Amino acid sequence: MKWLLIASIPLYLIGSFRRPLFVAALLLQLGFLACRGLTLGRLPLIGPGDTLAFFSCSIALMSLPFLYSRELCGERRFYWSCGGLAALFALIALSFPTLNMPLPPILDTYWFELHVALAFFAYALFGVAALLGGAFFLRGERGFLDLQYRAALTGYSFFSLSMVSGGIWGYYAWGTYWLWTPKELWTSILWLFYSLYLHLRAKGTEWDRRFAWLGIFGFLVTLFTYLGVSMLLKSSHSF
Amino acid sequence: MLKQLHNRLASLNLGLWLMSGVMLALAVGSFSRGSSKSGGLNDLPLFLWLREAPLPFSWWLWIAVALLVVLCLNAALCGIEALRKGRSLAPQLMHAGFLLVVLAHLISAYGGYKQQFQLGEGGSIGFPDGERVQIERISAETGPMGVTSAFGAELRVASGKLSEVRPNVPLFQKGYGIYLKEVAMTPEPVALLEIHREPGALTALLGALLFTLGNVMLLAQRRGR
Repeated sequence: MKWLLIASIPLYLIGSFRRPLFVAALLLQLGFLACRGLTLGRLPLIGPGDTLAFFSCSIALMSLPFLYSRELCGERRFYWSCGGLAALFALIALSFPTLNMPLPPILDTYWFELHVALAFFAYALFGVAALLGGAFFLRGERGFLDLQYRAALTGYSFFSLSMVSGGIWGYYAWGTYWLWTPKELWTSILWLFYSLYLHLRAKGTEWDRRFAWLGIFGFLVTLFTYLGVSMLLKSSHSF
Repeated sequence: MLKQLHNRLASLNLGLWLMSGVMLALAVGSFSRGSSKSGGLNDLPLFLWLREAPLPFSWWLWIAVALLVVLCLNAALCGIEALRKGRSLAPQLMHAGFLLVVLAHLISAYGGYKQQFQLGEGGSIGFPDGERVQIERISAETGPMGVTSAFGAELRVASGKLSEVRPNVPLFQKGYGIYLKEVAMTPEPVALLEIHREPGALTALLGALLFTLGNVMLLAQRRGR
């Protein structure tokens, strides 16, 4: 069923200027994830291959409300940038082998699936916020910043819920809602970063450019929290 | 003078600098030996670890904790100020939730407890009041790929009741949680159990709920704006 994921990439890259083709590519990815889920009997959320595919699909899914928003009607370059971002991570996902092992007993709980899925929805929205920051610099329209704020705030809400569900899972799995590992430290950093970003909104319009830059930089912090920490540092969340 | 100090402590600018400082301290700390597995940070309650760990291991956490204390004061003063001025309740609920979560960490950092036991069938764990919990049976199932797909242990508590502990299903007894970490079936069944006391857990949950409530209210307020 890997062809579903492979087919979504050119569709995103060539066709995502048009919303119906963007949706078609997303449906292919959802089909891929559904097939993986049925094969494994669980959500495909373990290992870099599956999580990157899930991340790519989350980016497209979380982009949809923005693509169909009144403010972004006809913004084809923005549609394509969302599609391009989803395609990039789908492409990276293909370079990793998929893990077909059964779920280790400690991960066999709905709290784990909720924790991870919410985190990826948040990461995806932080990615959309970064793209909207880029659009602000290209077009200079303040409307993009309002949308960036909305994307980041929704992402922050998902991320906070992910931390809560992770804490509940940790309490039942390890006896503590918090572990001092590099992943948890970077999770705190990412949460604090977007707390800072949301507070910065209160500084007024003269901070607009810095606000937009922070929205872009936040996605780099997100990527380091997700990929950098998992690959470079030893942690309870390492791949 | 006091008014000036209050204004400074409640200011948004101070909050932004403190958040940046905590982030920086944690980022540096994530690469330090203190946060690595060998640093032992997860083996002891936080304040005990901070007291015992050498400064080259723990300096970043001292800085983060110190900044966090001022950040909490900043969040509390800012929240009170906003409520006095009749501003939206949602961000203040989020501030209160954050403060409760930090308080929960403080409680756990003082009163947390963790101990590992490796026991076979018939082995038992004693509680401070003399009560014992005994392992009756240890079991494991192997999946199709040869890996352990499920494992558990039956524990008998003092009342004679039998309870099963499994991964994600601990047994709570006298304020402690008994967690099954691993089992080995050969040469004879042995279970690795961990006893935890996390006195801040309920406060953390309360803080998380309050934060989530404020967050949902904020999302509803910002919709369409």
